[in-house]
Amino acid sequence: MGKLRSNIIVFDKVYAERSRSTQPDVISGRHTELSRSAFFPVITLFFLLISFSISAQVPAGYKPLKDTTAFKQKMEAQSKLVTTLESDFTQEKYLSVMSEKIISKGHFHFKKVNMLRWEYNDPYSYLIAINKDKMFIKDNEKVSKYDINSNKMFKSINEMMVNTVQGNLLNNKDYKAKFYENDKFYLLELSPLQKGAKDFLKVIQLYINKVDYAVDKVKMIEPSDDYTSIEFTNRKTNQPIADEKFIIK
Amino acid sequence: MKNLLLSSFIAILFSACHFGHYGRLTKATSASTSLKPIFGDNFNSFLFKTNITVYGKDYSGLLVTKQMSPKDYRVIFTTELGMKLFDFEFKDTAFTLHYCVPQFNKPKLLKVIQKDIETLLMNNLNKKTFEYFTDSKMLYSIHKSKNGKLDNYYFTDKSTAHLVKIDHAKKRRKKTTFILSNYQNDFPGNILIQHHDIKLKIELNLLKK
Repeated sequence: MGKLRSNIIVFDKVYAERSRSTQPDVISGRHTELSRSAFFPVITLFFLLISFSISAQVPAGYKPLKDTTAFKQKMEAQSKLVTTLESDFTQEKYLSVMSEKIISKGHFHFKKVNMLRWEYNDPYSYLIAINKDKMFIKDNEKVSKYDINSNKMFKSINEMMVNTVQGNLLNNKDYKAKFYENDKFYLLELSPLQKGAKDFLKVIQLYINKVDYAVDKVKMIEPSDDYTSIEFTNRKTNQPIADEKFIIK
Repeated sequence: MKNLLLSSFIAILFSACHFGHYGRLTKATSASTSLKPIFGDNFNSFLFKTNITVYGKDYSGLLVTKQMSPKDYRVIFTTELGMKLFDFEFKDTAFTLHYCVPQFNKPKLLKVIQKDIETLLMNNLNKKTFEYFTDSKMLYSIHKSKNGKLDNYYFTDKSTAHLVKIDHAKKRRKKTTFILSNYQNDFPGNILIQHHDIKLKIELNLLKK
């Protein structure tokens, strides 16, 4: 949990920094911060993933978890064993006004240190990759490349990764964490306390498999109760992944 | 070869003239094809992969439209990763901004996007009065209506009865062009909104309806 907390702290710093920055008028033609917001959920998710790991199923009926210390220690120990990860994912976007959920599917790869490839392939192609100090977005065959060190926000993301992987953990007082369990799963609920984060996020729910301490599902619920949930299947841990996977041309 | 080049050039010039220049339109007493809202009245939802280019900056995401009641549409834009960017509602002539991320909350930009979507939804078409035109090649049935201080020209392909272009113009000077193409089951697979007075382009590519 300590790892998760440290991740969230930097996540929040990133958000606060972005919120503080002046937002020039889009129509005037100057730069906006909007494109960066696209990274936001994936970055959060990424750190949740590497803090734990992954797999599949949905629970029903929980009770509060008593021994949270043992749980946190186990989670940290498990995350240290992970060098590479890959998995399929199914993302569901629930919007209360729509009769159907928006379902997107894809695959992701992760490799220590600082390499992530998060790719949608159905019903559209869209790819975000992070490779040490570089960030790539591929959309409609167009590749955009960002230098992580070129601005404070990207730099914070990079530091967050290094801290997470090396286990330099901090305590986070910006999120309130609740722990639940049932026979098969731990359920972590993280509620943001800062106003900036509260504007768009009510709670993050993590469904963690008791067998291997893997995250089966992440659900990010907005203040309006619309949500994005991501379920993971076909997880592979510590299989060789070539560095080329994280270079986008 | 020379002739081919010359004739191609003339063809391009001519097509550019008759389609883009309203002076070449001939007034007609009635429309040969009717003008129907492309989003129809069947309460469908539509999902588009969407790219917005503003002064060289690209933003992409998913745009969902849903008809809630006969004159009520909800339009929501999220990133591919699920983060909601804005949530609009168009009910009769009223507009409601249900949600907008601070990064997107620029009054000028929101207004432009709102107006573009309004034009596409064609929600109040029955309240408009129209003038009718044809082009010199008689390919299109053209409806012209007043839209505030500006005019909207709707070009319907006579052979398919599909709306293929909307020009938003001020005193015959184009401000915004909407191109609707790749029709499947009477719905356009691609919609391109190109602004001529500001550097804004919106591309909608249908994923599902």
